[in-house]
Amino acid sequence: MELKSIKDAFDRVANKQKLSYSKTNEIVQMLSQEIEKALSIIQNSPSSPDTLLDHRSVLADVKKMFVEVAPVNQLEVAEKELNAALTKYPKVLEKQLNPDISKAYRHNVDFDTHIVNQIIANFFYRQGMFDIGDCFIAETGESECSTKRSFMEMYRILEAMKNRDLKPALKWAVSNSDKLKQARSDLELRLHSLHFLEIAQGQNSQEAINYARKNIAIFADSSLPEIQKLVCSLLWNNNLQKSPYSEFLSPALWNNAVKELTRQYCNLLGESSESPLSITVTAGTQTLPVLLKYMNVMANKKLDWQNIEQLPVAVELSEEFQFHSVFVCPVSKEQSSDDNPPMMMSCGHVLCKQTINKMSKNGSKSSFKCPYCPTDVDISRCRQLHF
Amino acid sequence: MEIDPVTNGNADAIMTESAPTITPPTTTPVPSSRLSQLTESLKLEHQLLRVPFEHYKKTIRTNHRFFEKEVSSVVSGVGDLADSDWSRDDTVARLSSLVSRLQGLKRKLEEGSNVENLQAQRCRARIDHLESADVENLTEWNNTKLKRILDLVDIDIFREAKKVIDALKNREVASALTWCADNKTRLKKSKSKFEFQLRLQEFIELVRAESYNQAILYGRKHVAPWGATHMKELQHVVATLAFKSTTECTKYKGLFELRQWDVLVHQFKQEFCKLYGMTMEPLLNIYLQAGLSALKTPYGFEEGCTKEDPLSQESFRKLALPLPYSKQHHSKLVCYISKELMDTENPPQVLPNGYVYSTKALKEMAEKNEGKVTCPRTGLVCNYTDLVKAYIS
Ligand SMILES: [Zn+2]
Repeated sequence: MELKSIKDAFDRVANKQKLSYSKTNEIVQMLSQEIEKALSIIQNSPSSPDTLLDHRSVLADVKKMFVEVAPVNQLEVAEKELNAALTKYPKVLEKQLNPDISKAYRHNVDFDTHIVNQIIANFFYRQGMFDIGDCFIAETGESECSTKRSFMEMYRILEAMKNRDLKPALKWAVSNSDKLKQARSDLELRLHSLHFLEIAQGQNSQEAINYARKNIAIFADSSLPEIQKLVCSLLWNNNLQKSPYSEFLSPALWNNAVKELTRQYCNLLGESSESPLSITVTAGTQTLPVLLKYMNVMANKKLDWQNIEQLPVAVELSEEFQFHSVFVCPVSKEQSSDDNPPMMMSCGHVLCKQTINKMSKNGSKSSFKCPYCPTDVDISRCRQLHF
Repeated sequence: MEIDPVTNGNADAIMTESAPTITPPTTTPVPSSRLSQLTESLKLEHQLLRVPFEHYKKTIRTNHRFFEKEVSSVVSGVGDLADSDWSRDDTVARLSSLVSRLQGLKRKLEEGSNVENLQAQRCRARIDHLESADVENLTEWNNTKLKRILDLVDIDIFREAKKVIDALKNREVASALTWCADNKTRLKKSKSKFEFQLRLQEFIELVRAESYNQAILYGRKHVAPWGATHMKELQHVVATLAFKSTTECTKYKGLFELRQWDVLVHQFKQEFCKLYGMTMEPLLNIYLQAGLSALKTPYGFEEGCTKEDPLSQESFRKLALPLPYSKQHHSKLVCYISKELMDTENPPQVLPNGYVYSTKALKEMAEKNEGKVTCPRTGLVCNYTDLVKAYIS
């Protein structure tokens, strides 16, 4: 795609529009000048019996001049050029962009507006756009979102963190300590560390040490190295910038804590850490180009797009949308399933069970050659994997 | 792009030959670079540029027509004056009125140009917005995009449409006809018969009201001109004159049904969207559908599915239900423990019980537990040294 050619084509339109405007302006000016001139000649000529002739000759001159200048023709010429640019631009857009992204849409699938509205409202709330969410709910007549209150609480905590007030965050983390541990999150320690650093920054080493003894020491089992660093930084707390621990001043520490808190908070609510709507729409943005290209290639072939059970084309979403392990047998190209699980051969290469069955002629051969290395594979030593 | 190969030579050979020769390991696909992904996604933004442009174009055309008409009428006004025998005073009066008309024209020209410039700015801002997207700020850009899809940026245009739709729902065709007149040339160019259908509906309403004479007069004036191109439909509808609106004749019963008005609403929406280069379906639904399909896996519907997957949510599951599953050409393994991708950098390791986790996660666990690892799903404890690497091609 060439954004530049789009820009150029638009510049041409805007340019011709300006030219057309100045042409029109010029002509209107000219008309009014000539008419005013004629008017003043007629008004200033002495009134006498032959003035009838007089003012007619003045008018005849103006008329003659207008015929010669042909203002309407001039306007038409300007319009013609402008029109050419106006017709060209949409063509450029159609060529450079996808003119109809609904080509990859299944028209026989009707989304339940009620569900879509709930999803949208939920999106507004979890982005902290509470006013818009309320407005949306009022306009669509949907029922109140159950998650609104929880998200309001989360934004209260995050807002406080923005102002470097850790109290609400700590309170939440401590009361959910067990659940956080279960989720393998070190959020609680991170928050305590930030608080410790805040106290230390205030030059109050004694208080910092007390705080560490009371709140941080209990994490020694899992995070001793981190704690050692933290406490050692006290030795430089009058000039942390030039110390081995300058990392403790990084704003990234706070940003990451905010991110982790959001993630854990949402997870405990049973929600994803990113808004599911934005995940889906972003995934859609990555998917549509592939589907559209496919539709274009297949335009002449009969494809029952409305009724297929699996997308006809593979879409490589970015890593962050990979939520599950998918094993595709490199030989049969089939996705593994409960009936056809992945099996590892003695050499470490993995195929799916059906492929291994075929290669061993359904077990009639006790060994076969791995398609990926020279190993002779003993069937009895193949074992099922669980990803 | 990748299109599913219907037949795969290599695989077929392996499946049929008894002693397969060594095939080169299939190369893992280079994940389409983020840059080309971005370019591709920008190509979806046709509507974003097209809609304000159509608006702009319409303004330009309307303005131009107006000024051409005015200039032409001033010029011929002077011509008429020169050819007539008006007295001096009358001539002065007429010339003065032309002067003030031109004065007004100048003002209107200024106003018109201001509107045009504003609309041009809007078009340009949209192009700049596309240009501002780059790999670095993609997350942010995608967020803006979502808000854009939800916000209906071109809301003023939808207002225009809503007026006509509301009128049609009240069984009034006037505003739809005005809209047709406003966009006459373009509708003609696309061979639209929307106006014809509106006329037919009005005709049918007259028949329904049993105003037969009026119906015939109306038909002569507004329906007959379409005969050249749509004779068959015309005959079909005009023949309603022979039937009562309560007719049981199946061919004609349908024409009298009030549902016909909904058909008109639908047709108007179609014409309207076509005119502005818009999709009929809400953009959000188009994106949701594509995204849900690409995310839809059997795992998403399982109990205990990770909360990060939108398909773990009941509402998304419901929407995804009638949609096709995603398709994968290559294995993508995600570590159960760390949720990180298992690839050559972080290869999968197999426990004696066949459960697979990433090297990184297992190593970390072993370091904290004197070389022992515990399978989080079965509770099996074993030595880090007992693990074997799996090779996934
Ligand atoms: Zn092998």
